[in-house]
Amino acid sequence: MKRLNTINKASFAIFFAALVWISGCNIIDIEDRADPNNTELQVVLDNPSRPNLSTLAVGTVSGMRVDMRIWFINHGMIGREMYRFLSAEPRNTGDLLGKENSQLDPGSFYTTRPWSAYYANIRMANILIQAASNSPAVNAEELNGILGFAKTIKAYQYLLALNLTNNNGIRRQVTDDINAVGDMLSKPDGFALIESLLDEAYTDLDNAEFIFNLPPGFSGFDDSEGFQQFNRALQARVAAYQMSDWQAVLDALDNSFIDEDGSLATGVYHDFTTQPNDETNPVFADPQAGSGDSWVAHPSFVADAENGDARVDEKVELRESEAALDGLSSNYGLAVYDSPTASIPIIRNAELILLRAEALINRNQGSDLDDAEDLLNIVRNAADLPDYSGSTTQAALTNEMLNQRRYELFFEGHRWIDMRRYDRLDNLPIDRSGDNVWISFPIPEAENVN
Amino acid sequence: MKKSDRSFSNLLLVLAVATFLLGFSYATVAQFTVSGTVTEEQTDQPLIGVTIQVQETGSGVVTNSQGEYEIELQGSSATLVFSYIGYQTKTFPVDSNTGTLDVTLRQDIAELGEVVVSGLGTTVKRENLANSVSSISAEELIGKSPAQTLSSNLYGKVTGAEISANSGAPGGGISIRLRGVTSINGASQPLYIVDGIYYNNDDIPNGSNAVTAAAGGGSASNQDNPVNRIADLNPEDIESIEILKGASAAAIYGQRASGGVVIITTKRGTSGGPLFSLSQRVGFTTIQKKLGMRDFTVATADSAFGSTGRTLFEEAQSQNRFIDYEEEMYGQEGLLSKTTLSTSFGNENTSFFVSGSLQDDEGIIPTTGYERQSIRANMDHRFSPSLNVAVSSNYVHSQAFRGLTNNDNSGTTFGVAMTATPNFIDLRPNEDGLYPDHPFNTSNPLQTRDLFSNGEGVDRVSTSVKANFNIWQKPNNFLTFTFNGGVDFFSQNNKLIFPSELQFERISGSPGTLIETATDNLNTNTSAILVHTFTTGNNLTITSQAGYTSFNNDQNRILTIANNILGTQTNVDQAVELNADQTKVFQRDRGFFLQEELNFDDTYIFTAGLRFDKSDRNGDVGKFYLYPKASLAWNLTNEDFWNSGTLENLKLRVAFGQTGNLSTFGAKFTSLGPSNIAGLGGVLIDETRGVENLKPERQTEIEAGIDASLASGFGSLELTVYQKSIEDMLLQRELEPSTGFDFESFNSGSMWNRGVEVGLNLLPFNTANFRWNSSINFWKNWSKVTDLPVPPFDIEGGGFGTSLGQYRIEEGESATQIVGSDPELDTNGDLVYRDDDGNVVSEEEGSLSIITKKLGDGEADFQMSFSNDVRIFNNLSLNFLLHWKKGGDNLNLTELLFDLNGTTNDYDDTDLDIADFRLEAAGLDGTETNAIKRLALLGISADHFIQDASYLRMREIGLYYDVPVSAFASLNNAIRGVRVGVSATNLFTITPYRSYDPEVSNFGNQPIGRGVEVTPFPSSKQFYAHLNIDF
Repeated sequence: MKRLNTINKASFAIFFAALVWISGCNIIDIEDRADPNNTELQVVLDNPSRPNLSTLAVGTVSGMRVDMRIWFINHGMIGREMYRFLSAEPRNTGDLLGKENSQLDPGSFYTTRPWSAYYANIRMANILIQAASNSPAVNAEELNGILGFAKTIKAYQYLLALNLTNNNGIRRQVTDDINAVGDMLSKPDGFALIESLLDEAYTDLDNAEFIFNLPPGFSGFDDSEGFQQFNRALQARVAAYQMSDWQAVLDALDNSFIDEDGSLATGVYHDFTTQPNDETNPVFADPQAGSGDSWVAHPSFVADAENGDARVDEKVELRESEAALDGLSSNYGLAVYDSPTASIPIIRNAELILLRAEALINRNQGSDLDDAEDLLNIVRNAADLPDYSGSTTQAALTNEMLNQRRYELFFEGHRWIDMRRYDRLDNLPIDRSGDNVWISFPIPEAENVN
Repeated sequence: MKKSDRSFSNLLLVLAVATFLLGFSYATVAQFTVSGTVTEEQTDQPLIGVTIQVQETGSGVVTNSQGEYEIELQGSSATLVFSYIGYQTKTFPVDSNTGTLDVTLRQDIAELGEVVVSGLGTTVKRENLANSVSSISAEELIGKSPAQTLSSNLYGKVTGAEISANSGAPGGGISIRLRGVTSINGASQPLYIVDGIYYNNDDIPNGSNAVTAAAGGGSASNQDNPVNRIADLNPEDIESIEILKGASAAAIYGQRASGGVVIITTKRGTSGGPLFSLSQRVGFTTIQKKLGMRDFTVATADSAFGSTGRTLFEEAQSQNRFIDYEEEMYGQEGLLSKTTLSTSFGNENTSFFVSGSLQDDEGIIPTTGYERQSIRANMDHRFSPSLNVAVSSNYVHSQAFRGLTNNDNSGTTFGVAMTATPNFIDLRPNEDGLYPDHPFNTSNPLQTRDLFSNGEGVDRVSTSVKANFNIWQKPNNFLTFTFNGGVDFFSQNNKLIFPSELQFERISGSPGTLIETATDNLNTNTSAILVHTFTTGNNLTITSQAGYTSFNNDQNRILTIANNILGTQTNVDQAVELNADQTKVFQRDRGFFLQEELNFDDTYIFTAGLRFDKSDRNGDVGKFYLYPKASLAWNLTNEDFWNSGTLENLKLRVAFGQTGNLSTFGAKFTSLGPSNIAGLGGVLIDETRGVENLKPERQTEIEAGIDASLASGFGSLELTVYQKSIEDMLLQRELEPSTGFDFESFNSGSMWNRGVEVGLNLLPFNTANFRWNSSINFWKNWSKVTDLPVPPFDIEGGGFGTSLGQYRIEEGESATQIVGSDPELDTNGDLVYRDDDGNVVSEEEGSLSIITKKLGDGEADFQMSFSNDVRIFNNLSLNFLLHWKKGGDNLNLTELLFDLNGTTNDYDDTDLDIADFRLEAAGLDGTETNAIKRLALLGISADHFIQDASYLRMREIGLYYDVPVSAFASLNNAIRGVRVGVSATNLFTITPYRSYDPEVSNFGNQPIGRGVEVTPFPSSKQFYAHLNIDF
């Protein structure tokens, strides 16, 4: 009996010893494990395989949509196109409309979040360039495709940043060092950077091949030739925003996808779906939604519209009850984007036609004004309006061009910029005494420029 | 595996095997019995439940209802230790000739005989302790008026602790800060150790952000009002709590002890019995304070809500139908009930403590509440005189329904919806049960409350084993080996159901939202310790210990969000759109420690220790970081020269120690997360830039103090001052976002906390018929950021930007300062105007200069608590705990939301004082109504958001009657005791703060950014009736 006990004890001890032995290897040692949740940057830089490059390129397209809601609100509110009523967020109707003595805050979300989103995506484009340049998996044409694609996106993101900060300029990102901080650029230098990126990309795309698929919003522009047209369309916008070299606008347009006979909607779009890890349209909302959380058109959009302009019914919806907040009100809900998966234009044919009209009006040589009027009529007719019948002076046509831009490109992020570059911010409606119209957003506080 | 590592594991192996082999060699020895009665020294009353323990073996018994005991002992002699909570411990040598031993115990007001943890394997008598360690007994913890969860039972009982509920939601969510801010971005909550288990206290968000959009589109956020999981522990199971408040006491716990350590010991069985205790409480809860609703007129309804408002107001007026929505939403008198049954039984070798409890509490909002079922079995077994094994195990199931409160960006939470709800609209369901749409908000809070569901279910099992083996035991020379292993596993399931008929769901593109978060968390820890005690001839005792510890954590969280629900289905697959997010977290820590304790005749007690720790949270996972400690206690009253009899004890003490704090998970990684578009797979760079060379932040604490107690037993005083310095702080710095990244962690900078803690215990009356015990605690903390190599930065989750008030870290300032926009003033106190280039100009030429300045501080000026226990005729006791927090500011943004919607209760009052220069800056003359003033200041000054959150609160009050045992004599002494009583928690609060409760935190358990309020779950008070029966 005693012997059996001893055996039992011994086997128990051996079992216990085995347990300790098995777990023994990590009694002292600790393994340095990788991020269990996401792809580490070093992985894509060390192994720039074609699938890795493709996910980076798609991510760059996807990343263009980050914090678009704030971009829309900033442009829409300051350009007096719409109101975003959100009772939980007083700064929309306070700071953005320059209520009383309020200022645009360099630390608040409306300044910081869009800026961060643009630069994160510029970083994406730079990572893509860095990875592709190191990749043995791509040939010279394929590398050119990636360079042309990435530089175009970079230029577009810089442009969006500059559109907000305007006179305060932008910052150049150091392309291959994630720890370095780049130089501050003045507004003209910022435009110069954007133009040079677009031009380099255009050249890269001359002899290039795309190894990645682009989403449906790029259909027609998802190979190197198509992408070149998109690149020139952006270049036309960038040239026009500088208000000086109108010939450059016209030249860029010639190589873009402008089509005076085609649909005004043709263009490049942001896609939205309800699929996993995708985004839905950030500004879609029920036009009737309650006033604690509603998106409404500025009343002047309806009041100022020409009789019979089909775009009014298309883009706004009469509300059953007025929406009001903070001393502001509107009876019209926004209906520009009518579903959670509605696409949002990056740039489209209507803008290109209007840009050509604008460049002609400003160049004002020969038959330019007549040609511009014809172009304006294309846009007017599409909205069921008769041909333009007003004065055909340069000034009058400029007014009409801006008016067509206002209605055609409503709530696509143009109004504030247009009024600003024509120095007409004073003409925007002021809804409450003490409100004012901002010219530039501050540089985010975290940039430590002051 | 390196050779040296293997030889260490071999050593462990040998020790483990030795433990088990020796443990089974059982020897039969001679036996004898000692019996007697234990009574109270001054009153001669028998003491029930006194523990009599055999010092050599650890076995023991307790006295019965007559104060009698009987203990069987082995061998020829032994030492008996008589201990009773609140009384001085006495020790008697006994042998086979002793027979009867009657003992009297004396009230121990300074608790000098209490045993306190001094190392991982050793304890020390409080008399010899060189640190200020707060101890809380079961009676102190829940004896007055019990709160729902553990942390809320600690209010006002721990000097140096700042305890704050994050909201009034049922089921917990309470943060504890010990001796000030211990980290700016690292972990700040204390380490909880329950019976040797490293008990997880994470707060896991429920995913409601997918609907509230509080974090502006992120998938999980800390604005979800989470529960921190210490709430799972049943307070009734706790025997005692010790709180190590800083590095000088906690250094031996190394790199996870910077927030302090809370050591919880649960109740254990004693031989004899079975003894049963049944405790039943029932009660109700109501809202602590209502804010009130604004009274409208036709004109004000029109100006606040437009023509719709006017129409609805007139309709309400004609029907005389004005609804108190606070009453509708928060007016429930929730029923509270808790039943606990526990038993203790055993013989001299084996004892059990088994308890079960059922708790079912409703909240003040209908459909909210908290349920908990808990069962605990603690077992102690003595395999041989030299081997004891203690096993503790606990299973808890809890279910919380916490409503939907706090910040949102979608108008969906109860609180935000309430701010848009004037009393003249009718949101109640019609006779068909259909809810009208809210005319001024996206959600009808009554509909959301009644139809949605936010459940949090937790199943948790925790077990520990502690084996104590006396390797040799010779006179004045002991060597023991202790092995401790703990396992803590929980599975938390959050399920939120937003049916498609809800107002905001119906109008969304994808009506109906289901959110399911499944979290599994496993903590395991082991330690192996050798302790050697050696007593020399000249009364010097040397205690040496060396040991090894390990800690592993693995957490896996899967969040699934489904939109566009199929009908009324609630499984996440029953929907059109699905999104998933998986987050894994892990941690591996390994450490060693050495400690040496020299005790010279209980007069000089010197301790020194070293702890070496490494972790995979550090950049260099192989590197050991060293945390030393040293302390000295000097008992003057034990000196030969001391001959005054007035003082029972006078001790001077000084202690030094260091602890670490690890970086948060993921700070090392620069990664790209999934970001798909239209069915194409993409990755997008994360906003956090990883840092490879992170190391633990290091806290150095020096504390010194005096403890004194009067020989008459009248009173005792404990006075402590400390300085806690934190270096190599783990900071999260805002990066220039133009780099493509917004944040990175880094080690830099330093700060300190300095503080003073005073505890005064008084026993002015102690007679058989009247006893009054009073304790007064006072504590105060200052902090300062002494070195910050980066520009001042805002605490994420510490506000919503400077225009609304913001916690900001800035060199030379307090770590808890709150800054905000405010007009710039010149030296004369006049407003400054500047032109576009920043030059000072006249008012006409420029615009008002708004600058950011310090407007408040979250840290209290001081806190005090006043606890009293009055006992009359030995049967009737009245006790209460009054807690005063003086100063400390909150950011009240609830008021702002009410103002913006025109519904603030004081909207039309004119009593709000605003400084003249701010009135001038806002173009006010001072006669405007309160809300008009506040709204006009929006963007000009954040000062009015930053409000004094002082309070005086009756935390606990209870009145109890102990039915004399003689009343049950007819039951053959089967009943040992019956206690009945009534009690209340948070009976009243006096505060200048203009919202529900000065204790609030929209962002949950933040190291710093607490007290930010956005429409929280209002706080409640509780009333209870109690019945406790011991049999």
